[in-house]
Amino acid sequence: MPELILKPGTLKELWLLPPAPGGSRKYLAGGTDLVSGSNAGMDASQVWVDISDIKELKGIRETKNSLIIGSGVKISELSGSGLISRWLPALRSAIPHFASPSLRNMATIGGNAATASPCADGVCALCAERADVWLELGGKKRKIALQNFFSGPKKTVLRRDELITAFEVPKWKHAGVYLKLGPRAYFGIAKASVAVALELDGEKVRSASITLASVSPVPLMAVKTANYLKGRVLNYDNARTAAALVKTEVSPITDARSEAAYRREMSGVLLERALNSVILTGRMSQVAG
Amino acid sequence: MTEKNKKITHRAKFSLKCFVNGEKVERDLDSSRSLIEFIRLDLGLKGTKEGCGEGECGACLVLVDGKAVNSCLMMAIQLQGKRLITIEGLKGRDGGLHPLQKTFMEEGAVQCGFCTPGLIIASEALLRENPDATVEDIKRGLTGNLCRCTGYEKVVSAVRKAQKLS
Repeated sequence: MPELILKPGTLKELWLLPPAPGGSRKYLAGGTDLVSGSNAGMDASQVWVDISDIKELKGIRETKNSLIIGSGVKISELSGSGLISRWLPALRSAIPHFASPSLRNMATIGGNAATASPCADGVCALCAERADVWLELGGKKRKIALQNFFSGPKKTVLRRDELITAFEVPKWKHAGVYLKLGPRAYFGIAKASVAVALELDGEKVRSASITLASVSPVPLMAVKTANYLKGRVLNYDNARTAAALVKTEVSPITDARSEAAYRREMSGVLLERALNSVILTGRMSQVAG
Repeated sequence: MTEKNKKITHRAKFSLKCFVNGEKVERDLDSSRSLIEFIRLDLGLKGTKEGCGEGECGACLVLVDGKAVNSCLMMAIQLQGKRLITIEGLKGRDGGLHPLQKTFMEEGAVQCGFCTPGLIIASEALLRENPDATVEDIKRGLTGNLCRCTGYEKVVSAVRKAQKLS
């Protein structure tokens, strides 16, 4: 545990705090990664900054063209949000797969990104939803595409002391789904998972975003497969071809949770199931524009 | 920055003000105190258990502002101004046992008992959100609670029975 936890009430107060000794600040939000890491002896930092009561990081709001999701929004708050239900079907579909009910009451969507786990459910879905992420350092803000935020397992492009403040997700008419393969039905870490967001024009795919987790060092945007689907009719044959194609895009490893060959094969299976589910139900449930 | 915040942010000690099982509590604590340490060591409420310290087992569940959370992964400083309910604070309308405490006993949903406080808190949080939970909803609602004695069936029957009593 750290010797000291600082607790600013606002972003302005946060940026007035002195630098942390010996490295970048450790921000405490939901605590599900930071405190468990500390309990396991994997965090030696002396000072944490508790950002869990900073009001500017909370809430989900709507602008003309996008949703703004504060980085401090809990996963369970996402599941209760009418805006998320209406506009972000892939993210909505990922939430029941995210850890356990009590951890969903604690974990924040900002922490899900900051941890940069290759198997993170929330940010995998947000990448397919074409989210950008807002970062802030000393009052200076910048926005980047979420897919470019990750630089490796547990690594991000965050600068020293930089904070994730929000996600900006475009409102676009699309169907979406998230499928996860874990060791059990719920509360498992993914062997492979896939998030699909499809903009449909009748039976044709106008545009597609496909993101996979646990099968590459960072959430993987399957660009070749998405491009293959673009302009094509969404049917079972094309879903099968897309599934074969996505297996050439993933770069899984063998580790304690699964084997590379199985993960590659299941990436195709999950994508085919996801596309088939959109064929069966998604055209009707495509979000209202 | 206000004087109050300066005190909170620049000293290792802080003054915690919160409600515990309905009672107002004020304590000066080290800012590095975890919530489960505050509950067990400072308040002496030993019903809340620490199993894994990683959020995997759910033995440490408590309610904060009505939501179930893992007290092993929360810091006491994050309880500032909030309402904490531990297993000791769950009561029936008559001040006696809570319906879930009664049905867990009646159904024999206890083996060694270590996971029971967490299971009852998780069940209470579930039924507050979804009083008409189905068996499948209950199983999903309790996914964050591990019983090493593996007695899950009786737990599900106890929650089903409590639905009828509530």
